[in-house]
Amino acid sequence: MTSPTGSDPRPEIRRTAQGDWVVAGRRCRACAEPVAYAWPRCPACGAEVEPADFGPLGTVWSSTVVRIAVPGHTPPYALAYVDLEDGPRVLAHVAGDEPAPIGGGARLTGVSDAGDLQVEVTR
Amino acid sequence: MSAPVAVAGVGTSHFGRQPERDLVGLAYDAVSEAFADAGVENVDAVWVGTVFAPAGVAQRVLRAMGITGVPILTVENACASGTTAFVEAHEAVRTGRYGRVLALGLEQMSTAFSGAIVPETTDPEGRAGLAMPAMYAMSAARYLYTGAATLEQLAAVSVKNHAHAVHNPRAQYSGEYTVDEVLASRMIADPLTLLQCCPTSDGAAAAVLTAASGGSGEVVVRGAALRSGAPWNHRSPHVWGHDIVADTARDALSAAGLDAATDVDVVEVHDAFTIGEIVTTEALGLVPPGDGGKAAAGGVTALGGAHPVNPSGGLLSRGHPLGATGLAQIAEITWQLRGQCGARQVGGARLGLVETMGGGVSVLDGNSCVVTVLEAR
Repeated sequence: MTSPTGSDPRPEIRRTAQGDWVVAGRRCRACAEPVAYAWPRCPACGAEVEPADFGPLGTVWSSTVVRIAVPGHTPPYALAYVDLEDGPRVLAHVAGDEPAPIGGGARLTGVSDAGDLQVEVTR
Repeated sequence: MSAPVAVAGVGTSHFGRQPERDLVGLAYDAVSEAFADAGVENVDAVWVGTVFAPAGVAQRVLRAMGITGVPILTVENACASGTTAFVEAHEAVRTGRYGRVLALGLEQMSTAFSGAIVPETTDPEGRAGLAMPAMYAMSAARYLYTGAATLEQLAAVSVKNHAHAVHNPRAQYSGEYTVDEVLASRMIADPLTLLQCCPTSDGAAAAVLTAASGGSGEVVVRGAALRSGAPWNHRSPHVWGHDIVADTARDALSAAGLDAATDVDVVEVHDAFTIGEIVTTEALGLVPPGDGGKAAAGGVTALGGAHPVNPSGGLLSRGHPLGATGLAQIAEITWQLRGQCGARQVGGARLGLVETMGGGVSVLDGNSCVVTVLEAR
């Protein structure tokens, strides 16, 4: 397996002064679309965006456990789409190898060893 | 209104894991059959759809069969690459840019990947390990959560399409499976099991398009549409890929002058995973919202049902060499409309619809979707 080269396309994450993990993304100045990525324009309407932080809490939209070999990851691993509060839907790894309960809460907990956004189930 | 465009000939290679063959041979199988079917020996231009083939593949395979010196264009639109080549070829003939055009789709997956498609590491969700089965598994898990489908209904799609493929000698897999056998096969990405996922396939498929001659029984393109995905996000009312299919279908049906997909007699859709067919039959409006699973389990979408879907066996059984898939769907519907499908024939089919969608780019509701309506005159 070769390691990916070039810049990392995954969301940038940082820790606030309060100790919470948040996604350092963008919000559209025109349509308020939240975006998890530092892209130059809004993907929904093309308008200008400004920096915005999202998280640490969200709701699980769906979740699965990947049981096949995928380069850079060791199966089984759990993934979830998490709708961050007033923020974007982000793909995150779930601690453990069980799917996260859909409709339940999740909290950003930083990044995994592989550098992926990670969440834990909160309720 | 311009003269309609005819599908003058179609052809495909065998579909399956064929690592010992090369794309030159697979493409030749498809093109030589399509040329013989159309009764032609050359074309004025070629559109080629492929996703993972090496640079220069179009000219490389075409020169080996003496197709040189004409305009050749390669397009990539994920799983809809083949049907993207088809709609572009259609538009070229419709507008009079070229008189006779070949649309060719090809892919050799078995030599490109050892298993599932390796997610694209320049894409955020690909980098995070969201393989395609996992993407569809997210939709399936959501359907189970909302009660829009059951595990058994998901499995019923696989049972149905494998049974259809028993009558398709070009299909990679076929068989009389039970729901229990489908659910007991190896888990790939919860809740999708192995028999609910399309296989790794190699193949090519082709169509020759010309201005319609007006002959009786001639298959013509009644309407075609292509879209790329809008953002899919926390505000989206449906699972991934639903809205792009619904929007593209509306465009294609409008172009065809039809009120609804239920007006067509036979349909080939993009069932890379079982949940894909359930979502697509709902998005097309073939069945009411939330009824996709019920329709599969109840025989509505089976051969002999009210709205037969994937009589070929679909991607789940015929196989899914990405670039070739869309043109294999076009070939199947063309054969259906000519009444050439033997034991898998939908009796009296006069109108057919093809839907292909593909994706993988994060934040979008699919990279692209193509919907085409064909008609036997």
